[in-house]
Amino acid sequence: MLKKILIANRGEIAVRVIRACRDMGIATVAIYSDCDRAALHVRLADEAWPVGPSPPRESYLRIDTIIDVAKSSGADAVHPGYGFLAENEDFAAACRDAGLIFIGPSPEAIALMGSKTAARQAAIKAGVAVVPGTEAPLSERTSDAEVLAIAGRIGYPLMLKAVAGGGGKGMRMVASPADLPGALRAARSEALSAFGDGAVYVERRIMSPRHIEVQLLGDQHGTVLPFVERECSIQRRHQKVIEESPSLAVSPELRRRMTSAAAAVARGVGYTNAGTIEFLVDADGAFYFLEMNTRLQVEHPVTEVVTGVDLVQWQIRIARGERLTLTPEALLTPRAHAIECRIYAEDPENNFMPSPGRIQGLRVPHGPGVRDDSGAYEGGEVPIFYDPMISKLITWGDSRDHALQRMRRALDEYDVRGIRTTIPFFKWILEDADFIAGRFDTAFIDRKLGANGAALQKIEPEHEDLAAIAAAVHLFTKPVSDGATAPPASSRWKDTGRTEALR
Amino acid sequence: MTFDIAVGERVRTVSVVRKGAMLHVTLDGRTLVVDARRVSDSALSMLIQNGHDTRAVRSIDATFAWQEPGRRSLGEGGDVHILGRAIPVEIRQGGSFGRQKKEGPGGSGAGPQRVTAPMPGKIVRVLVKPGDLVKAKQGLVVVEAMKMENELRAARDGRVREVPAAEGQSVEAGAVLLVVE
Repeated sequence: MLKKILIANRGEIAVRVIRACRDMGIATVAIYSDCDRAALHVRLADEAWPVGPSPPRESYLRIDTIIDVAKSSGADAVHPGYGFLAENEDFAAACRDAGLIFIGPSPEAIALMGSKTAARQAAIKAGVAVVPGTEAPLSERTSDAEVLAIAGRIGYPLMLKAVAGGGGKGMRMVASPADLPGALRAARSEALSAFGDGAVYVERRIMSPRHIEVQLLGDQHGTVLPFVERECSIQRRHQKVIEESPSLAVSPELRRRMTSAAAAVARGVGYTNAGTIEFLVDADGAFYFLEMNTRLQVEHPVTEVVTGVDLVQWQIRIARGERLTLTPEALLTPRAHAIECRIYAEDPENNFMPSPGRIQGLRVPHGPGVRDDSGAYEGGEVPIFYDPMISKLITWGDSRDHALQRMRRALDEYDVRGIRTTIPFFKWILEDADFIAGRFDTAFIDRKLGANGAALQKIEPEHEDLAAIAAAVHLFTKPVSDGATAPPASSRWKDTGRTEALR
Repeated sequence: MTFDIAVGERVRTVSVVRKGAMLHVTLDGRTLVVDARRVSDSALSMLIQNGHDTRAVRSIDATFAWQEPGRRSLGEGGDVHILGRAIPVEIRQGGSFGRQKKEGPGGSGAGPQRVTAPMPGKIVRVLVKPGDLVKAKQGLVVVEAMKMENELRAARDGRVREVPAAEGQSVEAGAVLLVVE
């Protein structure tokens, strides 16, 4: 049993899962949309099957097509990765109905914890504090006046969040009643377009919170094990951009309480496979259940590094019925400090505008304490249709300072040409005194960037001189071109952006 | 050979002469001795001698995201990646335009500002209407692409002349959404 796995995803996470399968001698089936024909996950897999046109709704979100491919290819299990169908209970159920093992929790657990309001109830039942807010979803038919009345009882400032949400979409901060109608409209429209469900709920906003989460694994025999926490407060517009483990804000005593609370919530709902409980932690160390992610997280590598556990392998082992044989105490004892930067194809000097296109050149950092989980390669395309994350750069060391030093070195080595990336943004954060000292909360980045962004990297006249010299030497020594090697005009929109000075 | 190269705010004139195994590169009246090795089509290793002390050699690794002439609206050029920075450069035709020193490749120019879609996407919101006065950096239109909403802003103060963009409309890269004068 479990000889061939279909990976219902693309990009770096599909590559990550393929690697785990290879490590275990399990065959892999990739799926791809039209624009992903030459993507890295297609090239690395044993088999690759087309699933439709490039827009996600017509390919990576097509449950029927993907189930068909799984059956036709003879796969016996499906790994959903994160995003796309990873937290879709209909997909998990469709796998089960088709006799395929879904490598993740049960459809029932996905449905329960995927509803923010039901998840809050589960946390309360497990004795874990939640942020004060509405216990029932506010449907699209709930009037502004009703929402205003509810908001008045909960208190300002507050957060509006999509019931079906995640990743900061369909989420708005509301400082006063006057801002509520506009924010409500925006949150609903974003939620509707992203998740097909415009329902929202209201939550009081915790001031200066840190976002700290606990990774869990649960087997099918009732064992749930928590891992040392991940610090995920470094977010831009509610999207995590840097994660680390352990957190400077968590003492061993707080770790014991948070991880026990997380495990209690998961046990209470009979949770299996990998999952993550997210908490908000206030300045006094009080923690509140935020939500549960019923899937592998983007930031899972930092946990793998500090505990030495291959989480994707364990997902597969759990799915085939194995018992968790990990030592609970070891999972709560970090053996290194790890940090991850999410490298996006976005231009940080231009309001983080997406920067899709062809990667003309790529040099990836290596050396001690460095891991690059990537779906990119030189000559590859970053399509416009999907999330613009191209890679996750993880470094680790004996201490946080050690890990940060290695991250600075790795970012200096990282050279991505032809598209803009967020690498300069990370170099800038890694020099920030407050970041270095660990003084931050979830609003840290948005505060630092301000309304109009910041000049991230200074280009001195000396750099310009060297660039001019390099360009001249490049032209002087360039082999005579026959014109055939010219790359496509991948930076056309970038040029446009510059001429129009969209800042 | 002499090249006029626009970088940042000004155009630099750089001449390159081969002397044996070395290149003599002159910039702003200063000549540097450079040992240049092509590592690949788009990567260059330069060892630059520092003035009279020929033992002090600086190692500069340069990589290029280069566009051939005709492939690029502005002429030949691209990004030079050097010391961890991506620096846009543009080659001007020697002597003719080079002296004008009008703008570097990052200049915003004058005349009406045509706000165009940076990539294919959907217009989510139009925040202004014809005749509105706008301030620099004010949001004009919101375009959704790559799962995110992106706000396009005014480059400078002005008045909205035309708004061809309509909410809900799908647009191609380069489509004119708004004109500000």
